[in-house]
Amino acid sequence: MGRDLKVEFGRINEDNIEQLRKVNLACFPVQYQESYYKDVQDSKGDGLCKFAYWNGFVVGAACARIEPLNKDDKNKGTDKDKTNDDNDNGADNKKQRIYIMTLGVLAAYRGRTIGAQLIQSILDHFENHMMDPELKNVVEITLHVQISNDDAIKFYTEKFGFEKGDIIENYYRRIDPPHCYKLFKKLR
Amino acid sequence: MAPSNSAIVDANPQAGQGRPLPKKESDLFKNVVKHYEQKQYKKAIKQSDAILKKYPNHGETLAMKGLILNSMSKRDDAHALVKQGLMHDMRSHVCWHVYGLLHRSDRNYNEAIKAYKQALRIDNDNLQILRDLSMLQIQMRDLPGFVITRHNILNLKSNGKINWLAFALAKHLTGDLRGAISVIDIYLETLPEGCSEKSRGFEASELALYRNRILAEIPDNYEEALDHLSECQNVVVDQTSLFVSRATYQYKLGQYTEAKKTIMDVFERGLTENYKIHSMYMCTILELDNDILEDALKLSGTRTLPTMISLTDEQKKILLDAYETEIYPTYPKSTAATRIPMNLVDGDRFRNSLDIFIRKGLVKGVPSLCRELSSFLLLEKNGKYEIATDPIDVKQHPKYKLIVDMVDEYLSTLQSSNKLLSEDQVEEPPSTELWTLYLRAGLHELGAEYNEGIACLDKSLEHTPTAVDAYELKARLVKAAGDIKGAVEVIDHGRDLDRQDRYINNQTTKYMLEAGMEDKALDRISMFTKHEGNPEVNLYEMQCSWYELGLGACFAGKKEWGKALKKYSAVIKHFDDFHEDQFDFHSYCIRKVTLRAYTDVLKFEDNLWGEDYYFTAAAGTIRIYLNVHDDPSILKENEEPDYSTMTAAQKKKAKAIARKKRVQAEKKEAEKKKKHKESAENGGGGGGQHDEKLSLIEEDPDGKELLKADPLEEARKYSAILSKHCPKRMCTWELQYDVAIRRNKVLLALQALFRLKELDSNSAEYILRIVDFAVKIPSFQMSGAVKNVVTEECSKLLGGKSVTDFVMELAAQARSNPSTPLPLRAVIAKSLVTTKSESEAKAASVIIDGGLDMRELNVDSCRVALGYLKGFGSDASASVEKWILFVKELYPLVKDFS
Repeated sequence: MGRDLKVEFGRINEDNIEQLRKVNLACFPVQYQESYYKDVQDSKGDGLCKFAYWNGFVVGAACARIEPLNKDDKNKGTDKDKTNDDNDNGADNKKQRIYIMTLGVLAAYRGRTIGAQLIQSILDHFENHMMDPELKNVVEITLHVQISNDDAIKFYTEKFGFEKGDIIENYYRRIDPPHCYKLFKKLR
Repeated sequence: MAPSNSAIVDANPQAGQGRPLPKKESDLFKNVVKHYEQKQYKKAIKQSDAILKKYPNHGETLAMKGLILNSMSKRDDAHALVKQGLMHDMRSHVCWHVYGLLHRSDRNYNEAIKAYKQALRIDNDNLQILRDLSMLQIQMRDLPGFVITRHNILNLKSNGKINWLAFALAKHLTGDLRGAISVIDIYLETLPEGCSEKSRGFEASELALYRNRILAEIPDNYEEALDHLSECQNVVVDQTSLFVSRATYQYKLGQYTEAKKTIMDVFERGLTENYKIHSMYMCTILELDNDILEDALKLSGTRTLPTMISLTDEQKKILLDAYETEIYPTYPKSTAATRIPMNLVDGDRFRNSLDIFIRKGLVKGVPSLCRELSSFLLLEKNGKYEIATDPIDVKQHPKYKLIVDMVDEYLSTLQSSNKLLSEDQVEEPPSTELWTLYLRAGLHELGAEYNEGIACLDKSLEHTPTAVDAYELKARLVKAAGDIKGAVEVIDHGRDLDRQDRYINNQTTKYMLEAGMEDKALDRISMFTKHEGNPEVNLYEMQCSWYELGLGACFAGKKEWGKALKKYSAVIKHFDDFHEDQFDFHSYCIRKVTLRAYTDVLKFEDNLWGEDYYFTAAAGTIRIYLNVHDDPSILKENEEPDYSTMTAAQKKKAKAIARKKRVQAEKKEAEKKKKHKESAENGGGGGGQHDEKLSLIEEDPDGKELLKADPLEEARKYSAILSKHCPKRMCTWELQYDVAIRRNKVLLALQALFRLKELDSNSAEYILRIVDFAVKIPSFQMSGAVKNVVTEECSKLLGGKSVTDFVMELAAQARSNPSTPLPLRAVIAKSLVTTKSESEAKAASVIIDGGLDMRELNVDSCRVALGYLKGFGSDASASVEKWILFVKELYPLVKDFS
């Protein structure tokens, strides 16, 4: 393993969104929908969606959003019908979670803690702004991970103390195995 | 600049002819002037009309009203009124002054000067008119007149700083250097001791340094200039400039030890990265001639003395010692101090320092590293070094081989162990591999190995797909490999990664223009123009010359001559404006005492028409007019074709095509108008801006008016400007020849040939023209005596040989020297055919048997050669086939080569 690379962060907006496509294309076997890119480029600031820069170039990105806590996990991860959940959750409907949609680092730059820095910066963002109106109802941080992706599961559970939740079957459409775990961590 | 509105008329409007207005009207007149100066034109008009109601023939009021109308963009009415006013009161200085101002606003300066002088004949002490006159005189470089006017002003009003300085400046500009110095000295004497103008501060400092500059301009006067520097040291705030001047004078006086000390002071002031100062340092240490220093100061970038001339080993050793013992230990962080010694060492020492230099650049990620390295590839030519640019020279250069081997070694070590050197302790960050691949691609570019370079860049984009620099370089390589459309795709892709990156946006626009995609290009560049109104107008207002030149070339490539001319004319207009812009400085700079900078500006303006952009615009204009002259039918393409010679069926078809074309054109035009209207409406709200006159871009957008001009006369006009202002360019004289020969100006053509030969007697463009001239001599219409002279001179150019022998000899040289440039070969082959020295098939062999070692071998020169080969007719058809095969193999990306 090489030395750690201390990266800088920068926001994602409509003028540089193509770089996110490049990163995702290089990192993930699935194609993300336009609504995902729209959400990311419209996100405010660089708290939840951000690029990691090394030596002037984008080498990775993390994209998260805030959503209702008990958003139906059996829906497809990237394209949820928001109007559906709003009334479903009864008493909990004010509670929210940070949902990590994607975390990707270009292959050549892996193993140098860039992913960890990205996740940590999202956690830091929460720590520093947890009383802000946007984050004050957030109680948890969540993501989905393919059940076969041992490295990722290890990464989240060992480094950041995430817990392994339920298996969600047939979460993915075009990759095998199609099942995923929900990983989560209570934030307060 | 618009004429200034201040105080055109003095307090006495009744002056002249002794017909004073009554009190009431006289007051009204004063108000007219006041409102004019405050730009309240409507009020001013109302009041002048009130006067004119009672005194319809009052000359000064008529003139003033005209002047006001002129400010309201009613030029024609203005001229009529001012003239009318002048007729009614020829003896009024106000009328003449106004007449002058009117001409000035039309930029008709010579007429304006005449009018001012007339006004002064009536009222010779009028300061305002004298000042206006002096501005015009300096603008028109009527320097003797300027001195007189400034002298008059100073005599009338000798207590103003500006008047003293302007008079000193006038003396300086007319070459009366001692006079200028004494004017400054007398002025300084008028000031009391201890006043602010004499103590340390910006104005005193500038004046002292200006005085010092004049002192140094006096021949052999460095001693005095040097002494003066010590005298004024206490008031000067620009100490760096003072030190540099001091070092220069000491150097010129041969006081090398002192000069060196002063240069060390300059370094100490923070100029360690100024390569010109380093050249000066080296010239001082080696005690070289003044001429060498002058040349070294003209070098650009990181080039210094040892990359300009070949130094002896001993000289190199002296310099190396100086850098190792003096400069480097004092400034270990200076890039220049590590960079310069690399040009002083050879063998292993060079290798080692190069190794460190490149690795540092790769780790840091320096996009310009390859360009920097190419400056080590020096070739000696006529006792001076040049940087090798032709791939043939590059590849043969031992340092190129050295660099390439090193970089290949880095790459393989990186790929096996993530290290640049196998003995390194720590691994490199991943970006190092990216930049190494990028550098390798750049080196491939230098060697014209485009496919290999593209492969490197594909690897680097796989490594870091967000690296915009890699897209840019890849686009450049794809273009050089002959696929401009492919290059556009690559760079546009890179551009899309960051839509706020103006640089890559501009590059994309350029590529699109080169690829003939003008609509898309406008679309891209419009992302950075004002988002309201017509972007083309906005680009014109911003004087975006590179875009307009690119678009002009794009239209010319499509044979849309009018539109191309229109774009070139826009750039030419920018230069008129740059020239006009001087007006802003004439009074401002003297007031602010920035006299050194001001004289530099004047010098710059004098050479304005020698600037690259002007040259490109003028040359493009000339070429188009020559095309139009050679084939006037190209102007008629929009008219109805000649139906009389067609059969009925052909006629029908032709008419249908014409109709279709017309409908399409109308549709396009309507769309454009609609778009424009919409954007104008969206961007509206400027209130009253709409009735402004059309910008140059909107008037005659297709350049139809420009095409109506006499093509040869227009070409002559611009060619004359170029020969005056750009005499050191080959292209100037090529065009001069092309224009002159069409105008049957044999002597002018001959002069151009002599200039070309002097600049480069081996250039293809020169050979092309001298052969053309020699062949044409018998057809020249001229008297026997002149013809004899011309024949004799031409024979001198041909080295006393017949034109056939001349061409045959060149052909023999080309055949025996494989590095003979392709364009030259093409011209020789063509000349063999035009002089009937060899058969077409045999002549073609000069081109097609050239092999891979030809200089200037690129897609463009291959196309030109193909054009010549095709012109040889059926006898050379086998050669055409062979050439196409050769080129296709060399440039597999070229799609449309045939």
